[in-house]
Amino acid sequence: MTVLILTCEEDVTADMVVVHLNATGVPVVRLDPADLTDGVALSGEYVHGGFRGHLSAGGRLVGISGLRSIWVRRPGTPAARAPVPSDWLTEESSQALYGMLRGSDARWMNHPDAARRARHKPWQLRLAQRCGLPVPATIVTTFPQAAREFAERYPDLVVKPVSGAHPQDPPRAVPTSRVAPDTDFAAVAFGPTLLQRRVAKRADIRLTAVGETLLAARKATGADDEVDVRFAPSTSPWQPVDVPPRVAAAVRDYLRAAELAYGAFDFAEDGDGTWWFLECNQSGQFGFVEVETGQPIARSIAEWLSRPGPDPRPRANGADTAVS
Amino acid sequence: MQPFALNYARPAATLEATTPYVYDSGLQLNVLMDGRVAARDHALMRELGTTTSTAGSKTHFDD
Repeated sequence: MTVLILTCEEDVTADMVVVHLNATGVPVVRLDPADLTDGVALSGEYVHGGFRGHLSAGGRLVGISGLRSIWVRRPGTPAARAPVPSDWLTEESSQALYGMLRGSDARWMNHPDAARRARHKPWQLRLAQRCGLPVPATIVTTFPQAAREFAERYPDLVVKPVSGAHPQDPPRAVPTSRVAPDTDFAAVAFGPTLLQRRVAKRADIRLTAVGETLLAARKATGADDEVDVRFAPSTSPWQPVDVPPRVAAAVRDYLRAAELAYGAFDFAEDGDGTWWFLECNQSGQFGFVEVETGQPIARSIAEWLSRPGPDPRPRANGADTAVS
Repeated sequence: MQPFALNYARPAATLEATTPYVYDSGLQLNVLMDGRVAARDHALMRELGTTTSTAGSKTHFDD
Protein backbone atom coordinates (compact mmCIF):
# COMPACT_ATOMS: atom_id res chain seq x y z
CA MET A 1 0.00 0.00 0.00
CA THR A 2 1.32 3.39 -1.05
CA VAL A 3 1.40 6.83 0.51
CA LEU A 4 0.40 9.54 -1.95
CA ILE A 5 1.87 12.98 -1.31
CA LEU A 6 0.41 15.95 -3.13
CA THR A 7 2.91 18.79 -3.03
CA CYS A 8 5.24 20.93 -5.09
CA GLU A 9 8.77 19.83 -5.92
CA GLU A 10 10.48 22.55 -3.87
CA ASP A 11 8.67 21.48 -0.69
CA VAL A 12 11.71 20.45 1.29
CA THR A 13 9.57 20.12 4.40
CA ALA A 14 7.75 17.24 2.74
CA ASP A 15 11.17 15.74 2.08
CA MET A 16 11.64 15.42 5.84
CA VAL A 17 8.69 13.02 5.88
CA VAL A 18 9.67 11.18 2.70
CA VAL A 19 13.04 10.39 4.28
CA HIS A 20 11.29 8.61 7.14
CA LEU A 21 8.93 6.77 4.80
CA ASN A 22 11.88 5.59 2.72
CA ALA A 23 13.68 4.40 5.82
CA THR A 24 10.79 2.14 6.73
CA GLY A 25 10.26 0.88 3.20
CA VAL A 26 6.82 2.37 2.74
CA PRO A 27 6.12 3.02 -0.95
CA VAL A 28 5.62 6.68 -1.81
CA VAL A 29 4.30 8.45 -4.86
CA ARG A 30 4.79 12.18 -4.79
CA LEU A 31 3.23 14.44 -7.37
CA ASP A 32 2.17 18.00 -7.93
CA PRO A 33 -1.31 18.41 -9.43
CA ALA A 34 0.13 21.43 -11.25
CA ASP A 35 1.93 18.95 -13.50
CA LEU A 36 -1.28 17.51 -14.90
CA THR A 37 -1.18 16.84 -17.85
CA ASP A 38 2.53 17.25 -18.48
CA GLY A 39 4.36 14.82 -16.20
CA VAL A 40 1.37 13.63 -14.21
CA ALA A 41 -1.35 11.45 -15.72
CA LEU A 42 -4.50 9.82 -14.45
CA SER A 43 -7.11 7.34 -15.54
CA GLY A 44 -10.16 5.84 -13.89
CA GLU A 45 -12.89 3.46 -15.03
CA TYR A 46 -16.32 3.04 -13.55
CA VAL A 47 -17.58 -0.20 -15.00
CA HIS A 48 -19.54 -3.23 -13.80
CA GLY A 49 -20.42 -1.55 -10.56
CA GLY A 50 -16.82 -0.91 -9.57
CA PHE A 51 -13.95 1.53 -9.98
CA ARG A 52 -10.36 1.11 -11.07
CA GLY A 53 -8.12 4.13 -11.18
CA HIS A 54 -4.45 4.87 -11.64
CA LEU A 55 -2.08 7.78 -11.24
CA SER A 56 1.27 8.16 -12.93
CA ALA A 57 4.10 10.52 -12.03
CA GLY A 58 7.85 10.44 -12.48
CA GLY A 59 7.73 7.00 -14.05
CA ARG A 60 5.74 5.56 -11.15
CA LEU A 61 2.30 4.05 -11.50
CA VAL A 62 -0.03 3.53 -8.57
CA GLY A 63 -3.54 2.20 -8.35
CA ILE A 64 -5.95 4.37 -6.41
CA SER A 65 -7.21 1.28 -4.60
CA GLY A 66 -3.62 0.71 -3.51
CA LEU A 67 -3.36 3.97 -1.57
CA ARG A 68 -3.16 3.70 2.19
CA SER A 69 -3.09 7.45 2.80
CA ILE A 70 -3.06 10.80 1.03
CA TRP A 71 -1.08 13.73 2.39
CA VAL A 72 -2.23 17.07 1.00
CA ARG A 73 0.81 19.20 1.75
CA ARG A 74 1.47 22.07 -0.66
CA PRO A 75 -0.17 21.01 -3.94
CA GLY A 76 -0.06 23.39 -6.86
CA THR A 77 -3.13 24.46 -8.79
CA PRO A 78 -4.14 21.53 -10.99
CA ALA A 79 -2.79 21.78 -14.54
CA ALA A 80 -1.16 25.14 -13.83
CA ARG A 81 1.91 24.04 -15.78
CA ALA A 82 0.04 22.36 -18.61
CA PRO A 83 1.26 23.28 -22.09
CA VAL A 84 -1.88 25.34 -22.63
CA PRO A 85 -3.19 26.20 -19.16
CA SER A 86 -6.62 27.69 -18.60
CA ASP A 87 -9.15 28.09 -15.83
CA TRP A 88 -11.31 25.54 -17.56
CA LEU A 89 -8.51 22.97 -17.72
CA THR A 90 -7.72 23.59 -14.08
CA GLU A 91 -11.30 22.91 -13.08
CA GLU A 92 -11.44 19.80 -15.27
CA SER A 93 -8.19 18.50 -13.80
CA SER A 94 -9.18 19.32 -10.25
CA GLN A 95 -12.48 17.53 -10.58
CA ALA A 96 -10.87 14.50 -12.21
CA LEU A 97 -8.03 14.12 -9.68
CA TYR A 98 -9.73 15.03 -6.43
CA GLY A 99 -13.00 13.47 -7.53
CA MET A 100 -11.34 10.11 -8.04
CA LEU A 101 -9.28 10.37 -4.87
CA ARG A 102 -12.37 11.23 -2.85
CA GLY A 103 -13.75 7.86 -3.85
CA SER A 104 -10.78 5.95 -2.45
CA ASP A 105 -10.66 4.32 0.96
CA ALA A 106 -7.35 5.98 1.79
CA ARG A 107 -6.94 8.01 4.95
CA TRP A 108 -6.45 11.74 4.39
CA MET A 109 -4.19 14.24 6.03
CA ASN A 110 -6.29 16.34 5.67
CA HIS A 111 -9.45 15.63 3.69
CA PRO A 112 -10.08 18.54 1.28
CA ASP A 113 -13.57 19.16 2.64
CA ALA A 114 -12.36 19.30 6.23
CA ALA A 115 -9.40 21.43 5.18
CA ARG A 116 -11.59 23.91 3.36
CA ARG A 117 -13.87 24.36 6.35
CA ALA A 118 -10.99 24.51 8.80
CA ARG A 119 -9.44 27.49 7.02
CA HIS A 120 -12.28 29.77 8.17
CA LYS A 121 -10.87 31.64 11.13
CA PRO A 122 -14.21 32.74 12.58
CA TRP A 123 -15.25 29.10 12.52
CA GLN A 124 -12.00 28.20 14.26
CA LEU A 125 -12.72 30.66 17.06
CA ARG A 126 -16.18 29.26 17.67
CA LEU A 127 -14.97 25.66 17.62
CA ALA A 128 -12.16 26.54 20.02
CA GLN A 129 -14.69 28.08 22.39
CA ARG A 130 -16.88 25.00 22.20
CA CYS A 131 -13.88 22.80 22.99
CA GLY A 132 -13.07 24.84 26.07
CA LEU A 133 -9.99 26.66 24.80
CA PRO A 134 -9.62 30.27 26.01
CA VAL A 135 -10.23 32.64 23.08
CA PRO A 136 -9.40 36.35 23.34
CA ALA A 137 -12.41 38.65 22.91
CA THR A 138 -12.85 39.07 19.17
CA ILE A 139 -15.14 40.94 16.80
CA VAL A 140 -15.55 40.47 13.04
CA THR A 141 -17.57 43.33 11.64
CA THR A 142 -18.26 45.78 8.85
CA PHE A 143 -19.96 48.23 11.25
CA PRO A 144 -17.59 51.06 12.24
CA GLN A 145 -19.73 51.82 15.27
CA ALA A 146 -19.50 48.21 16.46
CA ALA A 147 -15.72 48.42 16.12
CA ARG A 148 -15.65 51.68 18.11
CA GLU A 149 -17.76 50.21 20.90
CA PHE A 150 -15.60 47.10 20.97
CA ALA A 151 -12.50 49.31 21.24
CA GLU A 152 -14.07 51.11 24.19
CA ARG A 153 -14.59 47.80 25.96
CA TYR A 154 -11.20 46.41 24.95
CA PRO A 155 -8.86 49.37 24.42
CA ASP A 156 -5.79 47.24 23.67
CA LEU A 157 -6.58 45.61 20.32
CA VAL A 158 -4.90 43.92 17.40
CA VAL A 159 -6.16 43.63 13.83
CA LYS A 160 -5.51 40.67 11.54
CA PRO A 161 -6.90 39.37 8.24
CA VAL A 162 -10.10 37.38 8.60
CA SER A 163 -8.92 34.85 6.01
CA GLY A 164 -5.25 34.77 6.86
CA ALA A 165 -4.60 35.52 3.20
CA HIS A 166 -2.61 38.47 1.98
CA PRO A 167 -3.27 40.83 -0.96
CA GLN A 168 -1.32 40.09 -4.12
CA ASP A 169 -2.03 43.12 -6.26
CA PRO A 170 0.51 44.40 -5.35
CA PRO A 171 1.98 41.72 -3.05
CA ARG A 172 1.64 42.83 0.55
CA ALA A 173 1.67 41.18 3.94
CA VAL A 174 -0.87 42.03 6.62
CA PRO A 175 0.65 40.96 9.91
CA THR A 176 -1.24 40.96 13.16
CA SER A 177 -0.85 44.57 14.27
CA ARG A 178 -1.69 46.67 17.30
CA VAL A 179 -4.45 49.23 16.89
CA ALA A 180 -3.85 52.62 18.48
CA PRO A 181 -6.52 53.78 20.96
CA ASP A 182 -7.43 56.87 18.92
CA THR A 183 -7.82 54.96 15.66
CA ASP A 184 -10.46 56.01 13.15
CA PHE A 185 -12.61 52.93 12.44
CA ALA A 186 -14.51 54.42 9.47
CA ALA A 187 -12.69 52.10 7.02
CA VAL A 188 -14.20 49.08 8.77
CA ALA A 189 -17.18 49.70 6.48
CA PHE A 190 -15.05 48.81 3.44
CA GLY A 191 -14.24 45.24 4.42
CA PRO A 192 -14.89 42.68 7.15
CA THR A 193 -12.46 43.48 9.93
CA LEU A 194 -11.24 41.17 12.68
CA LEU A 195 -10.30 42.95 15.89
CA GLN A 196 -9.09 41.00 18.89
CA ARG A 197 -8.10 41.84 22.43
CA ARG A 198 -4.31 41.79 22.53
CA VAL A 199 -2.93 39.14 24.80
CA ALA A 200 -0.01 40.51 26.81
CA LYS A 201 2.03 37.45 26.01
CA ARG A 202 5.24 36.22 27.48
CA ALA A 203 5.62 33.50 24.88
CA ASP A 204 4.28 32.13 21.62
CA ILE A 205 3.23 28.51 21.56
CA ARG A 206 3.14 26.34 18.45
CA LEU A 207 1.39 23.05 19.11
CA THR A 208 1.67 20.58 16.26
CA ALA A 209 -0.94 17.84 16.34
CA VAL A 210 -0.42 14.67 14.31
CA GLY A 211 -3.30 12.34 14.95
CA GLU A 212 -3.23 11.76 18.71
CA THR A 213 0.37 12.95 19.02
CA LEU A 214 0.77 16.48 20.37
CA LEU A 215 4.13 18.25 20.16
CA ALA A 216 4.32 21.75 21.57
CA ALA A 217 7.10 24.30 21.34
CA ARG A 218 7.51 27.61 23.15
CA LYS A 219 9.28 30.77 22.08
CA ALA A 220 9.75 33.46 24.70
CA THR A 221 8.56 36.86 23.57
CA GLY A 222 11.29 39.37 22.83
CA ALA A 223 11.50 42.91 24.12
CA ASP A 224 10.34 44.44 20.85
CA ASP A 225 6.77 45.48 20.21
CA GLU A 226 6.12 43.11 17.33
CA VAL A 227 2.85 41.26 17.87
CA ASP A 228 3.17 38.77 15.02
CA VAL A 229 5.82 36.14 15.77
CA ARG A 230 6.34 35.58 12.05
CA PHE A 231 7.71 39.11 11.74
CA ALA A 232 9.54 39.33 15.04
CA PRO A 233 13.34 39.17 15.12
CA SER A 234 14.39 35.65 16.01
CA THR A 235 16.10 36.22 19.33
CA SER A 236 14.96 33.33 21.50
CA PRO A 237 14.76 29.79 20.17
CA TRP A 238 11.78 27.47 20.00
CA GLN A 239 12.00 24.98 22.82
CA PRO A 240 9.91 21.89 23.59
CA VAL A 241 7.24 22.40 26.22
CA ASP A 242 4.74 20.07 27.87
CA VAL A 243 1.10 20.43 26.88
CA PRO A 244 -1.16 21.11 29.87
CA PRO A 245 -3.63 18.20 30.17
CA ARG A 246 -6.70 20.44 29.79
CA VAL A 247 -5.27 21.98 26.63
CA ALA A 248 -4.42 18.56 25.28
CA ALA A 249 -7.96 17.32 25.82
CA ALA A 250 -9.44 20.43 24.20
CA VAL A 251 -7.10 20.21 21.21
CA ARG A 252 -8.05 16.59 20.64
CA ASP A 253 -11.72 17.55 20.83
CA TYR A 254 -11.05 20.29 18.29
CA LEU A 255 -9.34 17.90 15.87
CA ARG A 256 -12.13 15.36 16.15
CA ALA A 257 -14.82 17.97 15.58
CA ALA A 258 -12.92 19.48 12.68
CA GLU A 259 -12.17 16.02 11.23
CA LEU A 260 -8.50 16.92 10.96
CA ALA A 261 -5.59 14.51 11.17
CA TYR A 262 -3.08 17.35 11.35
CA GLY A 263 -3.24 20.82 12.79
CA ALA A 264 -0.72 23.50 13.77
CA PHE A 265 -2.18 25.45 16.68
CA ASP A 266 -0.95 28.90 17.63
CA PHE A 267 -1.41 30.09 21.20
CA ALA A 268 -0.27 33.16 23.10
CA GLU A 269 0.90 32.42 26.64
CA ASP A 270 0.04 35.22 29.06
CA GLY A 271 1.65 36.19 32.35
CA ASP A 272 -0.46 33.66 34.24
CA GLY A 273 0.62 30.84 31.98
CA THR A 274 -2.74 30.59 30.22
CA TRP A 275 -2.57 29.49 26.59
CA TRP A 276 -4.93 31.69 24.53
CA PHE A 277 -6.08 30.13 21.27
CA LEU A 278 -5.24 32.26 18.24
CA GLU A 279 -5.71 29.92 15.30
CA CYS A 280 -5.25 26.43 13.92
CA ASN A 281 -3.58 26.12 10.53
CA GLN A 282 -4.66 22.81 9.05
CA SER A 283 -1.51 22.67 6.92
CA GLY A 284 0.80 24.80 9.02
CA GLN A 285 4.55 24.56 8.61
CA PHE A 286 6.43 22.34 11.02
CA GLY A 287 9.96 22.13 9.69
CA PHE A 288 11.15 25.25 11.48
CA VAL A 289 10.02 23.80 14.81
CA GLU A 290 11.61 20.42 14.19
CA VAL A 291 15.00 21.80 13.19
CA GLU A 292 15.12 23.97 16.31
CA THR A 293 13.66 21.60 18.88
CA GLY A 294 14.49 18.19 17.51
CA GLN A 295 10.88 17.16 18.07
CA PRO A 296 9.97 14.17 15.87
CA ILE A 297 7.19 15.84 13.91
CA ALA A 298 8.18 14.51 10.49
CA ARG A 299 8.55 11.01 11.90
CA SER A 300 5.12 11.28 13.54
CA ILE A 301 3.59 12.30 10.24
CA ALA A 302 5.34 9.44 8.46
CA GLU A 303 4.07 6.98 11.05
CA TRP A 304 0.51 8.28 10.72
CA LEU A 305 0.67 8.05 6.94
CA SER A 306 2.15 4.54 7.13
CA ARG A 307 -0.61 2.95 9.12
CA PRO A 308 -2.67 0.48 7.18
CA GLY A 309 -5.74 1.94 5.59
CA PRO A 310 -9.17 1.28 7.04
CA ASP A 311 -11.05 -1.86 6.23
CA PRO A 312 -13.14 -1.50 3.11
CA ARG A 313 -16.42 0.11 3.96
CA PRO A 314 -19.55 -2.04 3.94
CA ARG A 315 -21.10 -2.12 0.52
CA ALA A 316 -24.81 -1.97 -0.03
CA ASN A 317 -24.54 -3.50 -3.45
CA GLY A 318 -21.43 -5.59 -3.28
CA ALA A 319 -19.45 -3.21 -5.47
CA ASP A 320 -15.72 -3.14 -4.80
CA THR A 321 -15.44 0.58 -4.16
CA ALA A 322 -17.84 2.97 -2.53
CA VAL A 323 -18.04 6.63 -3.42
CA SER A 324 -18.53 9.20 -0.70
CA MET B 1 -12.37 53.00 0.28
CA GLN B 2 -9.44 50.89 1.50
CA PRO B 3 -10.47 48.17 3.97
CA PHE B 4 -9.36 48.86 7.52
CA ALA B 5 -6.93 45.94 7.77
CA LEU B 6 -4.96 47.16 4.75
CA ASN B 7 -3.95 50.24 6.70
CA TYR B 8 -1.56 47.84 8.43
CA ALA B 9 -0.18 46.20 5.30
CA ARG B 10 3.49 46.22 4.50
CA PRO B 11 5.39 45.13 1.39
CA ALA B 12 5.64 41.38 1.13
CA ALA B 13 9.10 40.03 1.82
CA THR B 14 10.72 38.45 -1.17
CA LEU B 15 12.74 35.31 -0.76
CA GLU B 16 15.97 36.31 -2.43
CA ALA B 17 18.07 33.35 -1.50
CA THR B 18 18.41 30.71 -4.17
CA THR B 19 18.02 27.21 -2.83
CA PRO B 20 21.17 25.11 -3.20
CA TYR B 21 19.21 21.97 -3.99
CA VAL B 22 17.22 20.57 -6.87
CA TYR B 23 14.40 18.09 -7.02
CA ASP B 24 15.32 14.56 -8.01
CA SER B 25 12.22 12.89 -9.41
CA GLY B 26 13.83 9.47 -9.03
CA LEU B 27 14.37 9.92 -5.31
CA GLN B 28 11.31 12.17 -4.92
CA LEU B 29 13.57 14.34 -2.77
CA ASN B 30 15.55 17.55 -3.11
CA VAL B 31 19.28 16.92 -3.25
CA LEU B 32 22.28 19.17 -2.74
CA MET B 33 24.91 19.62 -5.41
CA ASP B 34 27.09 17.00 -3.72
CA GLY B 35 24.26 14.49 -3.90
CA ARG B 36 23.23 14.60 -0.25
CA VAL B 37 19.56 14.78 0.67
CA ALA B 38 18.80 18.40 1.61
CA ALA B 39 16.25 17.52 4.29
CA ARG B 40 18.89 15.65 6.30
CA ASP B 41 20.90 18.86 6.71
CA HIS B 42 18.96 20.61 9.47
CA ALA B 43 21.59 23.30 9.87
CA LEU B 44 21.14 24.24 6.23
CA MET B 45 17.36 24.14 6.55
CA ARG B 46 17.56 26.54 9.47
CA GLU B 47 19.91 28.83 7.59
CA LEU B 48 17.73 28.98 4.50
CA GLY B 49 14.47 29.37 6.36
CA THR B 50 12.70 27.31 3.73
CA THR B 51 10.68 25.47 6.32
CA THR B 52 9.65 28.59 8.17
CA SER B 53 6.21 29.98 8.81
CA THR B 54 5.96 33.13 6.72
CA ALA B 55 3.09 35.55 6.50
CA GLY B 56 2.30 36.74 3.02
CA SER B 57 2.54 33.37 1.39
CA LYS B 58 1.53 33.77 -2.23
CA THR B 59 -0.01 30.40 -2.78
CA HIS B 60 -1.19 29.08 0.53
CA PHE B 61 -3.48 30.21 3.29
CA ASP B 62 -1.78 28.20 5.93
CA ASP B 63 1.59 29.12 7.29
